[in-house]
Amino acid sequence: MTLATATPSEEARDKAGASRSGSRRSGPDTAFHFLVAASALLVLVVLGGLVVLMGVGGSQAFRTFGLGFAVHDVWNPVADLYGAWAPLFGTIVSTLIGVAIALPLAFGTAFWLTAMAPPRIAAIVGTAVQLLAAVPSIIFGMWGFFTIVPFMARTVQPFLTHHFKHVPGIKFIIHGAPFGTGLMTAGLVLAVMIAPFMTAVMRDVFAAMPNMLRESAYGLGATRWDVMWKVVVPWSRSGMIGAIVLGMGRALGETMAVTFVIGNVTDVGWSLFAPRSTVASLIALQFPESPAGSLRLSALLALGFILMLLSFASLALARMLRGNTK
Amino acid sequence: MTPGTLQEMTQDSMMTKTDPQVAKSPEVALAVRNLNFYYGENHALHDISMDFQARRVTAMIGPSGCGKSTLLRIFNRMYDLYPGQRATGEVMFDGRNILEHDLDLNILRARVGMVFQKPTPFPMSIYDNIAFGVRLHEKLNKADMDARVQDVLTRVALWNEVRDRLNAPASGLSGGQQQRLCIARSIATRPEVLLLDEPTSALDPISTARIEELLDELKEEFTIAIVTHNMQQAARCADQVAFFYMGRLIEVDSADRMFTNPKQQQTQDYITGRFG
Repeated sequence: MTLATATPSEEARDKAGASRSGSRRSGPDTAFHFLVAASALLVLVVLGGLVVLMGVGGSQAFRTFGLGFAVHDVWNPVADLYGAWAPLFGTIVSTLIGVAIALPLAFGTAFWLTAMAPPRIAAIVGTAVQLLAAVPSIIFGMWGFFTIVPFMARTVQPFLTHHFKHVPGIKFIIHGAPFGTGLMTAGLVLAVMIAPFMTAVMRDVFAAMPNMLRESAYGLGATRWDVMWKVVVPWSRSGMIGAIVLGMGRALGETMAVTFVIGNVTDVGWSLFAPRSTVASLIALQFPESPAGSLRLSALLALGFILMLLSFASLALARMLRGNTK
Repeated sequence: MTPGTLQEMTQDSMMTKTDPQVAKSPEVALAVRNLNFYYGENHALHDISMDFQARRVTAMIGPSGCGKSTLLRIFNRMYDLYPGQRATGEVMFDGRNILEHDLDLNILRARVGMVFQKPTPFPMSIYDNIAFGVRLHEKLNKADMDARVQDVLTRVALWNEVRDRLNAPASGLSGGQQQRLCIARSIATRPEVLLLDEPTSALDPISTARIEELLDELKEEFTIAIVTHNMQQAARCADQVAFFYMGRLIEVDSADRMFTNPKQQQTQDYITGRFG
């Protein structure tokens, strides 16, 4: 419309601008505009509401224990003493183990699916990956409890204890009675749960890479190994960071599966094979027995608040890493 | 097969009967004989036989889907990356049929460089884009590598434009510069043959002109096979032109004769713009 006049006046341009926000096509368009804006704003409201609920609910615990709440390693409901360090430690370490195991698995699967697998097999495996991602976490919890826990208790831990109990540096990590539960078991189960998600994201990232770029590298006589490390990985770095964060986010908050296999003891220690707890598992287990208004309930809400901060921090970190690459 | 028998085959081939000049050519870099290519069930190239003369530019023209790019991708066995694609027949290069299964593809690809429709800089610095390919095949010390990088960048007339920012990401260059970088990257491994798949189709006219000038200089050292949609480009750059249609080689001749006096009616129709 402004195109019709060669030199539109200020006024005409203002009108053209205004018509974009609804006045030109009134009625349904305005309603649509309002609806989409409202649903976008709702995100802010929900997010803010969650932060406020956790913060206010946990304020009693923060007031009682101060900022030290985050670093105290005592969680003693009998003495009404609460510190977040033990479950936080469990959450962070089990998540790191899970991501560390899932990352190479997901990367390898995604690379194979996009670059090497015959199309028919790639389709089958790709679907299997999606199905695995759709399995409810409670299933992984039961699988972990009936399969991984006994496996760790009967095979892995005795093996490690037998061979490494005198090796300095390692003996601390494997120290403990062979319960089969603990950070390593939780990390393994988490890895199996998050690997499909990470695979799906990485596969999309690899698939988005122009074929010509890949062929350029092969065209110079590069091996698959060279192409993968020197071209595909740098090219898809930001997408891979996205995949890692998605996996981390899921692992940080994963409740049911972890509760089944971590042993639920609020301790801190070097051993990856001793029972521990995570923020999410502790909240799930103790929430029903914490009376309203009690310091214990407030401490659990404060834990939830810290867990949210942790998730935000990992997202911020990802943004930062991604920004550096571009 | 020895070069001697290669010569005999050249004389026997149909092409020499229709074009004595090709037969007189002293050196043949790539000799294609009875080449067929299949994308799965789809028979994409039918019984192609032609020669690519050393240190000459051979242009391949024809409408989309005629098989000219497919032929190009056979010369560095790029099709090997994709299951279901296969070639039969013979492509003799330096006394060997490059279609043989036990051929070392990494060495072949170092000797047969390729440049694509769009610039494809790797996600690394300008310097490393060149050094990447060289490092795959040679162990050079820093000084030699620096010299190699400067040499190839100079030859593609890029050195003066990038000498101050060799460590900057290659993605920051303009499209034309990126394409010249890709050519520099391809010649840095010192290939004998350079394959160009519509190298200027994504470039503006000025960048295109610079690439065409570059080809004129590069052919003193390399055998060049270029696929192009642009008839003027083929006329300007090529010594020999091959016209493809529906997966068949219709005619191959010197550029002069091809554009002034083609033997086949189909060629005549295509170059005068009656179809395609």
